[in-house]
Amino acid sequence: MALDDPNARPSHPPGTGGPRDDPAVGHAAPPAADEVLLCGRRLSQVWEQALDGMSADDPHTLSCPGCREAVEGLATLNAATRALRAKDPPGLQALTDRVMSVVRSEVRLGRLLPLADPELDLRIAENAAAKVLRRAADTVPGARAATCRLVPEGGGTGVQVTMALAVSLDRPLPDRVHQVRRSVVHAAGRALGLDVTAVDIIVVDVVDVVDVVDIREPYSPQAPAGGA
Amino acid sequence: MNERTGFPALECDLPDGLLAVRAAEGDEDSFAVLVQRHSRPLLGLARGMLGNSLDAEEAVQDAFVSAWRRLPEYRHGAQFRTWMYRITVNRCLTMRRRRSPPIPLDAVAEPVAADVWSQPARAAEQDAAEAALAHALGELDAGQRVCWILRELQGLPYKEIALVTHTSEQTVRGRLFRARRSLQEAMARWR
Repeated sequence: MALDDPNARPSHPPGTGGPRDDPAVGHAAPPAADEVLLCGRRLSQVWEQALDGMSADDPHTLSCPGCREAVEGLATLNAATRALRAKDPPGLQALTDRVMSVVRSEVRLGRLLPLADPELDLRIAENAAAKVLRRAADTVPGARAATCRLVPEGGGTGVQVTMALAVSLDRPLPDRVHQVRRSVVHAAGRALGLDVTAVDIIVVDVVDVVDVVDIREPYSPQAPAGGA
Repeated sequence: MNERTGFPALECDLPDGLLAVRAAEGDEDSFAVLVQRHSRPLLGLARGMLGNSLDAEEAVQDAFVSAWRRLPEYRHGAQFRTWMYRITVNRCLTMRRRRSPPIPLDAVAEPVAADVWSQPARAAEQDAAEAALAHALGELDAGQRVCWILRELQGLPYKEIALVTHTSEQTVRGRLFRARRSLQEAMARWR
């Protein structure tokens, strides 16, 4: 399966729901078994317009008896569709738990990095350290960590950190990056005991202020992932 | 930790793209948020495709585990949601092919009370209409069915449905029309 579809484009931020499409596009050829109504419109088009909620803007549909009849013919199907749509699947939390128990059993450590204590030869897994450093970056308002890689430097205990950030632009970028660097260095030294030689920060994305200001807003599992 | 969800609060408001990047680097907590966020619509899709909740849960669980294993190679050409829909659709199609003979989609619809999704307060008429629709949905070919579910139950834009099903928007619209036509006829007969 092609994971990197060249036609893919970002449409809307995840979680906000996609807009219904404009039904006026893409009618080069009618689908097979389509029907032309007495007024000359195609049944497929009339239905699509009605189901996409666009009929109210079209004076023809409002006044044409044929079109109205075609739309009314969908009433029973629409009522059953609404009922089916409202159904809530059971066992959501149980499903998450089962998935996560498999996931946690397949832990990915990444490379092992030296801690700042050559005598004892202590090591920490890169992915565990990255998690702590990303969290440290996230605590800076308006900043969110994306990728975080740690590479041992030279033959000693030095470790170089490279982090990608998404930031909001409500404050000057250099200040924010500086804050993130300070937070990361602090967490690496104090919480993990890493000998960090450099923290390279790359800003890769800009996020809306509303997305990142109130980071402690509780996540609502009821929110749909998208769509109308 | 967020007591209600069991996830650290910091991850919960991150956009999918960032969570997927973090999960690809082995951050299970970020992946857990993605699972929590997307399992509801994916279960709805799988149930529509497979006709019962047990198979749907198995399909979605397999899809998420497969996504976790493939995340390191996922290059974010598609949105995470679109990618997950694709994996789940493929998983459902595989399960349907494996199943022989196909289990009728209305197998648990009668009596209605046996359906674990029902609520006692729901009117019997509505249950019967739903069961009739679920049955009619089961009679559609898989391509029409997945397009109809993604559009009418999940509200995906045509473009995203085309990406999920590896086809054109034109084909999606054609399949939707044929699906609507068959379902409308079935519901008219039922009435």
